[in-house]
Amino acid sequence: MSVVFSRPRFRLEPYVEFAKVAMAKEATYRFDVFTNIASVLVRVYILRTVWVALYAHNAAPSELPLHAVITYSTIAMLMSLVMDIDQTRILRDSLHDGSIVLDFTKPMRVPLYFIANGTGEVLFHAVLMIPALALALFFVHIDVPSFGTLAAFLVSFLLGYSVGFCINFILNCTAFWTLEITAVQFIVTWITDLVGGELVPLVLFPAALQNVLVVLPFAAMFSTPLLIYVGHIPPAQYAGALGLQAFWLIALGAVSVVMWRLGARRLVSQGG
Amino acid sequence: MAIIETADLRKVFRSVKRRPGVGGAIAALFSREYEEKAAVDGITMSLEAGELVGYLGPNGAGKSTTIKMLTGILVPTSGSISVAGLVPHRQRLENAQNIGVVFGQRSQLYWDLPLRESFALLRSIYDVPRERFRENLDHFIEILDLDEFMDTPVRQLSLGERMRGDFAAAMLHDPKIVYLDEPTIGLDVVAKEAIREFITQLNRERGTTIILTTHDLADIERLARRVILIDDGTIIFDGPISRLREEYGTHRTLVITLADSYEDVQIEGADVESREGNVVRLRFDRRRTSAEALIRRAMERYALSDIAIVEPDIDSIVRRIYREGYTEGAIGSPS
Repeated sequence: MSVVFSRPRFRLEPYVEFAKVAMAKEATYRFDVFTNIASVLVRVYILRTVWVALYAHNAAPSELPLHAVITYSTIAMLMSLVMDIDQTRILRDSLHDGSIVLDFTKPMRVPLYFIANGTGEVLFHAVLMIPALALALFFVHIDVPSFGTLAAFLVSFLLGYSVGFCINFILNCTAFWTLEITAVQFIVTWITDLVGGELVPLVLFPAALQNVLVVLPFAAMFSTPLLIYVGHIPPAQYAGALGLQAFWLIALGAVSVVMWRLGARRLVSQGG
Repeated sequence: MAIIETADLRKVFRSVKRRPGVGGAIAALFSREYEEKAAVDGITMSLEAGELVGYLGPNGAGKSTTIKMLTGILVPTSGSISVAGLVPHRQRLENAQNIGVVFGQRSQLYWDLPLRESFALLRSIYDVPRERFRENLDHFIEILDLDEFMDTPVRQLSLGERMRGDFAAAMLHDPKIVYLDEPTIGLDVVAKEAIREFITQLNRERGTTIILTTHDLADIERLARRVILIDDGTIIFDGPISRLREEYGTHRTLVITLADSYEDVQIEGADVESREGNVVRLRFDRRRTSAEALIRRAMERYALSDIAIVEPDIDSIVRRIYREGYTEGAIGSPS
């Protein structure tokens, strides 16, 4: 069965409005805002303590001196402010409570609505990175890279964020088939934390494992931008590193589209 | 010209067949058997622009499935639909522009936002010209009394307030067709009345075509002139309420209160419908038995302290059709 929705004139305006509303909504949960920042600060402090202790009792790895690994961890924690958000949770929620049916009665492209909503939430959390960074500087000293490196980091961060967004969207799309996705989501978060380089830089893993992990999409989310920031990935390798991230973005973007189409097809043939 | 037309519309759902017990549940993890069920099984109907039609049926009769197909959310298994010249499931976005939807069990308002902001978002989604939006909003604020809670987040509204907000939300873009699914469910009498008044006005003043599904038959009696009754996915009655009443209102009920206690109460020409203590309800066909004769027989046989005759309301008529099925002209005719 083919589902062909004809497409009238596209207007961006409603999606911008959705994003704005989502952003404003996030700001109303003041308690969340404070706990978010506080939790980043606590983790920054703990990681600093751990790394200082580890480096004091072991031979420092030549790849990452202490100041670099502390910088790495601090930036990783700041990134987690936007990376750890369940951006397209609203898709899962509206499948759970059946309100997706109402979304489909409106003249809007439903996936764009979900994406706009997630983007709004994330933009608000992105703003939180500034005060979080300012406060973190009370506990840690971080390296400031050259302008070129910083620019490459930002591009890589954006790509990594987008890869994470796709993974999140794909996970939430599974709610079209099974309403219980908490377990899957938990496992994916756990894997990301572990092998994405958020907590432990991948360069500290055994070489054989490292070679596998760096090409996975999870590394594209955290490890690549962070290693660019601390200079472990030199400018000569930027093209390759960013290229691999772009590859994952395209691949997972394609999977996202397919998942949405299959899910929507199931919805229109099987009902909510 | 018909604004909504369906021809032999069918929708078949496939669902997992569940076997009973823990064993069945475990077996279902590994192998699944499916069964098919036609939720809508050959519905042909035609609505003129400006009509207000009550769409009735027991739970699971296929009402929501029909509405979902008309709104373009569900793709029919077979048959055809045309809504204002569009095929809803193929032209979902254009069709969405023409329709308004109120589901009593669900809100399309944004939970964390005040009504005012929900409305502004909807303006943007439907691309309503600002001036028209202003006019409509002012109008709805006035007739639905929204003023005092326009700036309250929706989650803090009472059900009645929220429903009024939902009605305004569904009408801001001047839909030609409005689908109302249980719009008065859970509301108190006053709120129900306000909603009914609003629906009447909408239909009368704006000429909006309205399909109303409800379990509250008072809604239907008050609002609709035509009803479509469905059961098991097929239409069992389509016509004016008055005809339904004529064909099915053949039975009346004689309620007698016994002054003494009797073991068994039986009166020729009537069936005992129920008995609670001394109050006995006797159902009779007014074309076969006159009330007068029945009362006389009752009084001859029993000592009575009270007598009343109850005319059937639309509720009992529909209940009877659900129970016995509908056969045109056949039920209740003297044989």
